[in-house]
Amino acid sequence: MTPGPIVVTGLGCVSALGDSVAANWAAALAGRRGQRDLTLFQTATHRTTQAAEAGLPPAAAGDRGLGRAERFAVHAARAAVAGLAPERLRSARAGVFFGSSTGALLEGELLLAELLARRQPSVRPIAGIQNDGPGTAVARALGVRGPVVTWSTACTSANVALGAALDALRSGEVDVAVAGGADELCQITYAGFNSLRAVDPQPTRPFRASRAGLSMGEGAGVLLLETAAHASARGATVLAELAGAGKSCDAHHVSAPAPDGAGAAAAIRLALREAGASADAVTFVNAHGTGTPHNDDAESKAMAAVFGARAAHVPVTSTKSVTGHLLGAAGGIEAVLTTLSIVHRLLPPTAGDEPADPALGLDVVLGEARPLPARNLGLSTNLAFGGNNAVVLLRSPA
Amino acid sequence: MSARSVVVTGVGWLGAFGTGLPALARGLAGGVPAVRAIDRSQGYHRPNGATLVASCAGLDLSPWLSPQAARRMSDLSQFAVAAARMALQDAGLTDVKGERTAVALATALGPGGFTEQLARQILEKGGKAASPFLFTDCVANAAAGQVAIDLGARGANLTLCQREAGPLLALAHGTDEIARDRADVCLAGAVDEMKPLVHALLDRFRALARPGALGEAARPFDQYADGALAGEGACVLVLEAAERAQARGARVLARVGPTVRAFDPSAGRAGFGRDAHGLAAQLQAQLGHALVGVDTVVCGASGVPAHDRLEAAILRRALPHAPFAVAPKALHGEFGGGTLGTALLALANAEFAHPAACRQPDPRHGLALGHGRHRAGRVLLSALAAGGVAAWTVLEQP
Repeated sequence: MTPGPIVVTGLGCVSALGDSVAANWAAALAGRRGQRDLTLFQTATHRTTQAAEAGLPPAAAGDRGLGRAERFAVHAARAAVAGLAPERLRSARAGVFFGSSTGALLEGELLLAELLARRQPSVRPIAGIQNDGPGTAVARALGVRGPVVTWSTACTSANVALGAALDALRSGEVDVAVAGGADELCQITYAGFNSLRAVDPQPTRPFRASRAGLSMGEGAGVLLLETAAHASARGATVLAELAGAGKSCDAHHVSAPAPDGAGAAAAIRLALREAGASADAVTFVNAHGTGTPHNDDAESKAMAAVFGARAAHVPVTSTKSVTGHLLGAAGGIEAVLTTLSIVHRLLPPTAGDEPADPALGLDVVLGEARPLPARNLGLSTNLAFGGNNAVVLLRSPA
Repeated sequence: MSARSVVVTGVGWLGAFGTGLPALARGLAGGVPAVRAIDRSQGYHRPNGATLVASCAGLDLSPWLSPQAARRMSDLSQFAVAAARMALQDAGLTDVKGERTAVALATALGPGGFTEQLARQILEKGGKAASPFLFTDCVANAAAGQVAIDLGARGANLTLCQREAGPLLALAHGTDEIARDRADVCLAGAVDEMKPLVHALLDRFRALARPGALGEAARPFDQYADGALAGEGACVLVLEAAERAQARGARVLARVGPTVRAFDPSAGRAGFGRDAHGLAAQLQAQLGHALVGVDTVVCGASGVPAHDRLEAAILRRALPHAPFAVAPKALHGEFGGGTLGTALLALANAEFAHPAACRQPDPRHGLALGHGRHRAGRVLLSALAAGGVAAWTVLEQP
């Protein structure tokens, strides 16, 4: 017996746009950017000064000692599960599927600085330094007893986690899954992306001819997923269906996407196959859209390969233009915003004043939010280091 | 989950005992770990802390990796690529290019050496000094990405970070890629490197065995246990659909059985929980009759008393018939996936020595380690991770 559709019934997120879903959605619709001068660490020795730095969400009981990314994760997860009775989570039938690229690397840097200064630091603050820190913090906070797994596939981490949650729900291993990702800003990723000349000194300009790199960001995005039967039995409001997920690898380069976008296209086709949908059914795309020349070019080619001539007419946005790039959490917050697009039938604009790069051949949503049809199939894509590609498809509930 | 049965047709292992599964077999039969002194010259360590590591330093990987290719990679990536090539060779596969080949690797610690070097560049010389070369290979999924590039593997490329449970989870997710017909071949396993900084941090967490009157050694389930032996290496299995392996006349090493995944929310961020009863109940409920035929257990026991206490209590409850139990981490060290190789050896009638350092079984554990030549029919792999994640997997005679 198949469990039927897998549905989204709760959302939570934290980013530079705020620590609530409402604040993030309002800012995304308005094209209000979260980028500003960094305060988390000194930028004097770095090549750029801006990032989409998030405020630390208020701590709840039990959060003492958690690292920054763990705080983001737990806050977003609590928001996502707010409508669910806690005992449904404190069960072997509930799991946590999480993505994180850096874990608590900022705390790790601080610890290393202490060690290099020949001090004897406490190791307590870095107990969550490993990449599974945010996911296991969520599992502990919610008391789940089922599968808890963390993927660290760089910028696709959260989308990979969403796909794994979908598998676990479809197979009947769990009834409820808390899935998404969390990451924090740190000097290694900030300086690292700068060393690749992949950071735009200005707020990122995805899909523009002048695009010059990404904006770093941080935060978390979490979805509550459950079988439709489970949601129905408890009278939950269904926001969207998680219809499919696809993963692939370019096997091309450690940090650059394959220029022809073939790997990303393969991941999209796999997700469509799993969703039982054709490419023609996709009504909008929340793209990876980092604003690096290579990414946006490869991604547009992937869309051209999948959608054909229709690629020029499928509305595309990059919400990274306002949230910044949340790395391992990107797929999480973008799935949250994609779900909200389905709920509100509005696609937020890609922030910025310039026109879209005509060479990409995409219908980039600019200026203001674009109304969407009554029923939608939204595609959310992420590409990553290691040639990693992972996408998810969300659609209007039946 | 799916009708596609999955088998193991090749294995690549490297660790302190050398390269290739026969090297691991000799090490396990010898009963004495291959250890050397960790470099403490950076001043990261506590004065009276752990001094030994099961290191891969000096291993000749040139049969699988050219010196030119090795220079472009972290140790972690080198280990992964070498083990993957070794595994394919063992499986008699020469060309696995394409979208039907997946990679699923676990790493608990990631590329700690490159991360440390990069962090030091930034902390000591400023952000502009960051090396792009170090950055691109310091993400956790770099090793899996390098394997994909090396082999042209364009299927799903997964990196799991779940501490000590990672190897079993990677095996489970790799198996799932084939079972769900998303891949025909999957290279699944674990890889880790052990650098002085990570060694020192583990020691500061009191996770490692310390020098003392009895000598510094990992003593799983022993009255004198005081910590683990830190190790490094890689173990990669070639997974294939059973019918595909049969069709090409492949030698089958094992059939992959079910995996149980669970979480113990009583665990702290860096410690182990206490809910043996709950975890054993989940193991029994989900594996059911498959447990009855288990004649061998490859324990995750590492000599960390809290870990070993919990694992013994779970196994006592779930397997009252007391199957032959081995704790190979006493010999090959913690991390690097050696338990996967050990399980295959158990299925191949290998010789197991009682770890020489284990003096007196702790009677509270009620679990005695087996020794002598042993041919397993059905092996249960057991893994409990710091932070609360648990996993168990069955490997059995084909």
